[in-house]
Amino acid sequence: MNYETVIGIEIHCELKTKSKMFSGAPVSYGAQPNTCVNEIDLGHPGTLPSLNKEAVRKALQACMALNLKIDPLIRFDRKNYYYADLPKGFQITQQFHPIGSSGYIDIDTAEGPLRVRINRLHMEEDTAKQYHVEEESWIDFNRAGTPLVEIVSEADMRSASQAMAYVDKLRNILMYLDVTDGKMEEGSLRCDINISLRPEGTEAFGTKTEIKNINSISNIEKAVSSEIIRQKALLEAGKEVQQATRRYDDVAKDTVMMRLKEGSVDYKYFPEPNIPPIQLSQVWIDEIRNSLPELPEARALRYKTLGLNEYDIKQLVQNKALSDFFDALIPSIKNVKLAANWCCGDILSALSQKQLEEKNYQLKLSELREMINALHDQAISSKQAKDIFPHLLKGENYASIVDELKIVMVSEHSSLLKLVEETLDENPQSILDYHGGKDRALGFLVGQLMKKSKGQANPAISNQLLKTELDKRKP
Amino acid sequence: MEKHSKAYFNNLAHQLRFDLTDKEAQDIVDEFSILIDQMNLLNTIDTTGVEPMVYPFEEATSFMREDIVDHVLSAQEALKNAPSSKNGFFITKKVVL
Amino acid sequence: MSFTSVKNNPVEKRVLEALDKAHLVQPILNAMVSFIDPLSQLEDLKSKDKNLPFYGIPVALKDLVNMKDTITTGSSKILDNYVSPYDATIVRKLKEAGAIIIGKASCDTFGMGGTNKTAATGPVHNPYDLSRMSGGSSGGSAVLVASGVVPMAIGTDTGDSIRKPAAFCGIVGVKPTYGRISRYGIIPYASSLDHVGFFTSNVSDAAVSLEVLAGRDDLDMTSSFKPVEKYSSLLKGDLKGKRFGIITNVTNAIQNKNTTTQFNNLCEKLKAQGAIVSEITLNEDLMKAMLPTYYVIANAEATANHSNLDSLRFGVQLEGKDNEEVMIASRTAGFGPLLRKRFVIGSYALFTENQDLIFRKAQKVRRLIVEDVKKALSEVDCLIAPASGNGAPLIEDTQIDQLSSEYLVAENFMALGNFSGYPSMTLPFGFDGVLPLGVNLTCKPFEERLMLDLAKGIEDLTQLNDLICEVKP
Ligand SMILES: [Mg+2]
Ligand SMILES: [Zn+2]
Repeated sequence: MNYETVIGIEIHCELKTKSKMFSGAPVSYGAQPNTCVNEIDLGHPGTLPSLNKEAVRKALQACMALNLKIDPLIRFDRKNYYYADLPKGFQITQQFHPIGSSGYIDIDTAEGPLRVRINRLHMEEDTAKQYHVEEESWIDFNRAGTPLVEIVSEADMRSASQAMAYVDKLRNILMYLDVTDGKMEEGSLRCDINISLRPEGTEAFGTKTEIKNINSISNIEKAVSSEIIRQKALLEAGKEVQQATRRYDDVAKDTVMMRLKEGSVDYKYFPEPNIPPIQLSQVWIDEIRNSLPELPEARALRYKTLGLNEYDIKQLVQNKALSDFFDALIPSIKNVKLAANWCCGDILSALSQKQLEEKNYQLKLSELREMINALHDQAISSKQAKDIFPHLLKGENYASIVDELKIVMVSEHSSLLKLVEETLDENPQSILDYHGGKDRALGFLVGQLMKKSKGQANPAISNQLLKTELDKRKP
Repeated sequence: MEKHSKAYFNNLAHQLRFDLTDKEAQDIVDEFSILIDQMNLLNTIDTTGVEPMVYPFEEATSFMREDIVDHVLSAQEALKNAPSSKNGFFITKKVVL
Repeated sequence: MSFTSVKNNPVEKRVLEALDKAHLVQPILNAMVSFIDPLSQLEDLKSKDKNLPFYGIPVALKDLVNMKDTITTGSSKILDNYVSPYDATIVRKLKEAGAIIIGKASCDTFGMGGTNKTAATGPVHNPYDLSRMSGGSSGGSAVLVASGVVPMAIGTDTGDSIRKPAAFCGIVGVKPTYGRISRYGIIPYASSLDHVGFFTSNVSDAAVSLEVLAGRDDLDMTSSFKPVEKYSSLLKGDLKGKRFGIITNVTNAIQNKNTTTQFNNLCEKLKAQGAIVSEITLNEDLMKAMLPTYYVIANAEATANHSNLDSLRFGVQLEGKDNEEVMIASRTAGFGPLLRKRFVIGSYALFTENQDLIFRKAQKVRRLIVEDVKKALSEVDCLIAPASGNGAPLIEDTQIDQLSSEYLVAENFMALGNFSGYPSMTLPFGFDGVLPLGVNLTCKPFEERLMLDLAKGIEDLTQLNDLICEVKP
């Protein structure tokens, strides 16, 4: 029997704010434990929540980019459960009135374009981090209260690659908005993937499992693929899929059971009495919509009008930091295609993703621009550019590097012509060979010419000039 | 589990992370009949078309806090009341996943 | 004891006298849970303006109010060792106004009760008759003012927890409009019903207190932006033309003829001053439904509000083999039987399958009740009724018929002010034997100025201000 895979994805995404969702304590990753908290985050008796406006602004931006319908009356609810990482014994979330509902994004898949519907986006607060050490659990509340949006897709995906494409696209959009740093490995973007199989052609959903703790985009495809195989094997053996939460184990390259889902927990949701409904003004919403940052799709279109090819566009757009670098580079660049090549090539391999994201490098854009323009003008050769580039990376100026490396590009017609004539005069046999149909002869002559010029002759022009002069000396 | 039996309320208490003594569970079973009588008072009231009232005053506000870091405890203050702590962490007996 | 009489003493003397007296009466009244050394506060005071409204005035806090580096137990066992790492907003305001906080007063555990018998430190005794209760939940605070230890004490009021003990103890108890005083830093009972208020021995002191405590607080999103009025300087006590509406549902339910007679006399006096006194009858079915409505909403909110008490970050922790066992052991021991029962019932009301039938049903009835009160107040300036049918009950008294109309209506109607959030206060208007009786006023939202003015008018008539019931060891 053939099975169809049904996938729905929930994403928790930490918002890039300075302070917590409901308190004035700092949001910071990697700080000393329990140094980014105050009594509100620790759920001390008598504390009350006070809503962070920036978190709402970022949630709104996400709603707009994901084509969600916005509810301008903000309301919060309590989700009640007991767990060591949940200080208040309830999480403040938006169960009944999510800020965004009924949206979608379009993704590219091997099977063509796919529209994935998004059921809802709601705001909530993150929990603390626990480390399980032998018989103890160590708890750091720094993460507790960090603003989150939870984005819930419809079960519209049918393959591992679609699931990966969806998360990748969504993450990219959120990073373009600058609402999150999107770091899956640090847990600032976490996805829970619901997977079930059903016999092809049937409607009813099969029993689903939920995969958590996936720490990279590429692991999504791996995790989903292995879970599909696992479920299929069970079904084909006539066994049942158990409703459970599983996680992807990077070493075992398979999903492993975390816990069974025994019935559904009753979270006893009810409206949060300490947060009155907040009416967002249309003016503010419009202001946010009108100043929404450029999104990946718009950027790809813009690159198309610049004349970049599909490959370069894809390379650039999928890496916001690199694409931002490119955008900063291109003003007064003579050849954007050449600039794109450099960005996707040498820049990408020379600078780390972190350096790109944090703009933490010594390379000066103005100097790189000068070099690329010189290359375009054939004032330097590609080989010379490769020699120059490492010096640019150290923050040196283009002019002084050229000076230091004694780089001269002989491209002036009369001087080149003189060199060409000398070379030909010195190699009469090669002229005969060339006209005798031996292609190698031209290469030899170019080499001789380069030697004579100490590598500074413009190869393209020299080549052309040699051919013209050779033709003149046809025996 | 029979609804509103002792076992039922013991289970409910356990979900709330405490236990009831046998007497307390019996008390709740007994008082539940009074409570049901009182609930019946509520049920005699026609609330068709009435919205639940969550807040005393329901006009929406527009206030939201600016995104400013204005109050943080030192780790020492944060941990001051902790029954157990180590290396800046709150420590608890193993959390069963 | 009034602010004026306190001010006759030099600052240090009056603070130390208050502390001495608090210690002295403690074995008799059992009103305090913890004492605060006033030394550093007295030191801070030296740099402050002597004209501050609370300059050097000793004040007690209900044991639900957090004050940095002091013990705040909520009169519970689970928070027996809890040291607040922060100040409640009202503590900051009191300090800014020059008050010296001398300690925490006993209450029903987390404010959940009306007798003060559930406090971890045991019942509080009524100074007028030591075998009688203070009323609750703010019993300790009421008793400290009534016995002349402090001229002002902070209380909280979720059902009638300021106004009932004020009535039983012969003092003024004010519960202002919801949102008028910040709740930040006060251990909650039920967030949508909780109000912060206070006790004083006269209406003028109440006006001064409200002026200091009221105002917008960004840390409490439900706090109001409405400007705070000059309650104290606007106090006139002029009753002429003021419209009082007697809640007949309450007066009809009261069995005690002495209470009824004195209340009728008061109403006659009001009329004699030119007030317009009429009768208002609220929907009796709704009045009878008030107690169950209250019970459901308050306990549902309370069970969630106290889910933070898991003994992991603060509080008294007991042994267990894993985290869950530790939590269960600590919460079982840390909550009394009454609380555990209420949490079970509150939680029951919140189950998804029960919410429509119980929790949301109660919230709908709450709206109907509030609409009825709102309608009644559209015709008058103020609703008036005795705060209780009788003086303070005996501590040992357990015989209360939970479904009689005297109990359902006369003893619980003040929750109207919590359902609606409307300002409400009680002040003494007579005695039943040795026991004080209180009268309750409820006004329209944010009409505290008017409410205090009407109370002042009543106080001028009864002359029952600055009552102190001295107790001697
Ligand atoms: Mg959620
Ligand atoms: Zn979530």
